Amino acid sequence: MISPVLSPQEIRLAELAAGRPDPILTRHERANRLVSRIKGAKPVIDVERALYFTQSMEKTVGQPLVLRWAKALYHVAANITVYVTEDQLLLGRVGQPGRHGILYPELDGDFLDLAVASLPGRSGSPADISPKDASLVLEKISPFWKGKTYHEALSQSLPEEVFNLTYADPAGLNSRFIVNETSSFRSSIQWVHDYEKVLKRGFKGVAEEAKERLNDLDPYDPRDQAEKKPFYDAVLIVIEAISLWARRNADLAEEKAQKESNPQRRSELLTMAAIARRVPYEPARTFREAIQAQWFTQLFSRLEQKTGTIVSNGRMDQYLYPFYAADLAQGLIDEEGALELLECLWVGLAEFADLYISPAGGAFNEGYAHWEAVTIGGQTPTGEDATNDLTHLFLRSKREFPLHYPDLAARIHSRSPQSFLWDVAETIKDGSGFPKLINDEEVVPLYVKKGATFAEALDYAVSGCAEARMPNRDTYTSGGAYVNFAAALEMTLRNGRLTKYPNVQLGPLTGDPRSFASFNELYEAYLTQHRNLLRAAFIQQWHVNKLRATRFAQPMGSALNDLCLKSGVDLHQELVPEGINLGYVEFIGYGTVVDSLAALKKVVYEDGRLTMDEVLLALEKNFVGYEAIQALLKAAPTYGNNDPYADLIAKDLDRVSVEFCQKYSKSLGIHNDIRYVPFTSHVPFGRVVAATPNGRVAWFPLSDGSSPSQGADREGPAAILLSNFHSKNQDLSARAARLLNIKFTPKCLEGDAGTQKLVEFIRAFGDLKLWHVQFNVINQDTLIKAQNEPEKYQNLIVRIAGYSAYFTDLSRDLQNDLIARSAHESF
Amino acid sequence: MGTKGLVFNVQGYSVHDGPGIRTIVFLKGCPLGCQWCSNPESQNPNEEVGFNPARCLGLAKCQMCLKGCPYGAIVADDKGADYPTIKRSLCQKCPDYACRKACPAGALVVYGDFLEPLEVIKRVEKDEVFFQRGGGGLTVSGGEPLNQPDFLLDLLSLAHKRRLKTALETSGFGSYEVLKAAARVVENILYDVKVISRAKHLAGTGQDNELILDNLKRLTADFPKLSILVRTPVVPGFNDTSKDAQELGQFLRALPNVTFEALPYHRFGEGKYGFLGRTYPLAGLTLDPKALEDFNRLTLAARNL
Repeated sequence: MISPVLSPQEIRLAELAAGRPDPILTRHERANRLVSRIKGAKPVIDVERALYFTQSMEKTVGQPLVLRWAKALYHVAANITVYVTEDQLLLGRVGQPGRHGILYPELDGDFLDLAVASLPGRSGSPADISPKDASLVLEKISPFWKGKTYHEALSQSLPEEVFNLTYADPAGLNSRFIVNETSSFRSSIQWVHDYEKVLKRGFKGVAEEAKERLNDLDPYDPRDQAEKKPFYDAVLIVIEAISLWARRNADLAEEKAQKESNPQRRSELLTMAAIARRVPYEPARTFREAIQAQWFTQLFSRLEQKTGTIVSNGRMDQYLYPFYAADLAQGLIDEEGALELLECLWVGLAEFADLYISPAGGAFNEGYAHWEAVTIGGQTPTGEDATNDLTHLFLRSKREFPLHYPDLAARIHSRSPQSFLWDVAETIKDGSGFPKLINDEEVVPLYVKKGATFAEALDYAVSGCAEARMPNRDTYTSGGAYVNFAAALEMTLRNGRLTKYPNVQLGPLTGDPRSFASFNELYEAYLTQHRNLLRAAFIQQWHVNKLRATRFAQPMGSALNDLCLKSGVDLHQELVPEGINLGYVEFIGYGTVVDSLAALKKVVYEDGRLTMDEVLLALEKNFVGYEAIQALLKAAPTYGNNDPYADLIAKDLDRVSVEFCQKYSKSLGIHNDIRYVPFTSHVPFGRVVAATPNGRVAWFPLSDGSSPSQGADREGPAAILLSNFHSKNQDLSARAARLLNIKFTPKCLEGDAGTQKLVEFIRAFGDLKLWHVQFNVINQDTLIKAQNEPEKYQNLIVRIAGYSAYFTDLSRDLQNDLIARSAHESF
Repeated sequence: MGTKGLVFNVQGYSVHDGPGIRTIVFLKGCPLGCQWCSNPESQNPNEEVGFNPARCLGLAKCQMCLKGCPYGAIVADDKGADYPTIKRSLCQKCPDYACRKACPAGALVVYGDFLEPLEVIKRVEKDEVFFQRGGGGLTVSGGEPLNQPDFLLDLLSLAHKRRLKTALETSGFGSYEVLKAAARVVENILYDVKVISRAKHLAGTGQDNELILDNLKRLTADFPKLSILVRTPVVPGFNDTSKDAQELGQFLRALPNVTFEALPYHRFGEGKYGFLGRTYPLAGLTLDPKALEDFNRLTLAARNL
């Protein structure tokens, strides 16, 4: 037997398991010390943000919402505990030392009592809370929000038939996992700020603009005075707030410096204090000031609202480069020094746990998942290649930093330089799957079609899992519906009902499937169920759009958006003049549905090897005793093999969905486009769907994103990409991200030749104009070992549905899902 | 429409058989009988039924194959195992192989389909986008492709006409005229040289190697600019001695235009012997990775270009 080729990550794990020192950590001592204090720790819930936010909101009832929000943030900034963390070079944190998460009672505070009791013991992503803080939540925070949360308002507003597809209980506390609303998991879907503005102009520059616009308001115009004036007032208050908070950090650092006996640390602390006295209010002058300004801004954004996946980092290699280049030229910094600062930032990201306190939110985001995407590469606003030295430094940092942060996203385009793609491929080979790739050749033209200028589209930043944002043109901020189309399939076979909920008529009566004379009749029935779920998703979205404007405001985020500042409108308002609202409706279970329809078409209607009756019986028995039927169904053509039989069904399902969105988005006034990005929702969605005609057993996870069903890809990775291409309707535009996971074993990518072939694979991905791909380079054996001996594999990083998490943080369900996906051996 | 050829697999995303990302077309039938062969289904020049018991659901759950074979060649195991026995002598090789269609689990397979060159090219061209950026293309492998000369030349000529990049993977055991004709229309040749010792070659492959070595010499003489990669599978106990490496190196010394690669013996093909009702001749054999390094080093030292 030849010895398996191990990825660098696996070699590292083997070294650790053998008790030898970590080969990478020894090269980065500060990061080593910082990381060792948080590794494997269970996060603690810090209640201060929720407490001070609530205290202020109690006192401002009746005032304009945006003003209340700004005042609440000022109250938080003035009172929240500030910290100086040992060894850290950056100031600012929003919770106590170690891993921590914070609460947003305005969003989902009706779950707080439940969460305080259940989070510490939750199997998915547990978090601790001290008894004192637990009683603060129960006595001082949650009572105020009873009856006032966004989640309650939404559940009350939905019409009955939509409510029934959304929630599983009359109070709306549990998701039905069919047309899942996600706007109450986060007050904003993923987002990215224009950090460059903070670095170049400082909040001072933004405040000056706000003051000018305030002065320009017509004193006699009621709208100017009642709507816009409070907005600009709020902007000025929130800028005061973040500046105050930065100064409080500076004060503490100075205080600590006085008491510090180590001269090197004292000097570090004094430098940190001096920087925090300047930024983010004043423009940054150095790389270090720029990083600190960016960090304060994103932290304050966390205090402001819960942004889905946590607010992203933007095009860091672009907006930091001028500072880096200037500092290098003046000898103020070297590559190692810059790397150390980046590592301090990554530790800050890693320390934060994105708490989803509702049970459904937790199921969607296993493993404390958050991905504050750092975008590198791509093109400049004028269409030149954008890579620079800093681009390569980010890739190096990715290879050498031991935790799964940051979430690195590389933009690629048709002229991406070989040096960049080679470095990208080497980093992917390192085993942790980063960076994920986003394709300019798909994103840019689509965004231009949706109304952006070329300059704006060329300057997009990756945001969250797989999405792209234009921070000064995008204005859409709500989480959309996640739709379980495998449930639509089961309803087609059970005349509008699901096995899981036998007593509820969830879908329309489409008839007894045994009466369908042809595949077309079956398919039409399916489409009726399919459109019914889309209909519910769009009605839900209509209510979401109306409601969020009455429940949320984000004065700081709005201050950083050109359009909001120009028009005096908060980002949470339904429409911002000149904005492009890019929203999404999520197609979950694509591969599962396509394969099931293909199997029925082939086995029942074409080959006649089974009757519908036999299939239904086998499904009802979950294939127990009907294994031959299961095998026959599984043997039918499947999506992911570049087989037109299945891929044309996939393409038609995409077309039907995209056309629906194209037609009805107009009524919503936003783009509500089809996207294939599940987070980990394909796991809880699978738990409500019985056995399906693709041979999938009951309650097993659905297929993930636009990837093939687990194990259904038999023709290798090139065929997966080709199926993805052939199932997309290039002529339509109401489409958004398609998440695609490809797993490689290291043997495929061995040596320089392997790197070169991965580069070619990436270029083919670019040529096919697919939106997104990410790789998982690992041996299946390693995953099984990690499952059986989690204590030895705490560091094992894997790729799941758009983000990385520790394998051992995941539930057994999800671990099994990963193991089941075909590994592409190539000998 | 061109001669039909017997093809047992078309494999996309192949990264170890020629430049770039390639699609390999495997032709069935080989005059050699290498003991270490990792594609035993490639050897027989006819269609063959294979049975993979690991995929079989078991006769308790499924008996579709028993009913499926019109000639009674598939029967319940007489020793009481839960899966069927194939009586290969009764198999009539019926045109559509009823057994393959009958088995729902993919446990019964038929190796080999007769395909026209254009059908094969159309299949290969589906992967074209993966060839463009790294000079990838079609690799014809086997079995021994020279064993189906008409089909091979039709296939390669058609590929050439459509400007696909092509590579030929061969043992060199075949007509030089065919090899020469193929060499005119391919960009790369991957040429297996197992061992220089005639006695060892005969013992390990069942054939003399004189033709193989002779063809290689003629090929390099006739096509001095053609890219030829000589590959040697290093098989423990067969060709892994220092003497073998030195002899090989000395042989290659006379062929300065070829490149060389030692390939590690592996046993990933072992299971397939069982599928064909055969026994793997080299069961239990493993290759020490160091032996491969040594072999490579000694060969290159003896070649001493």
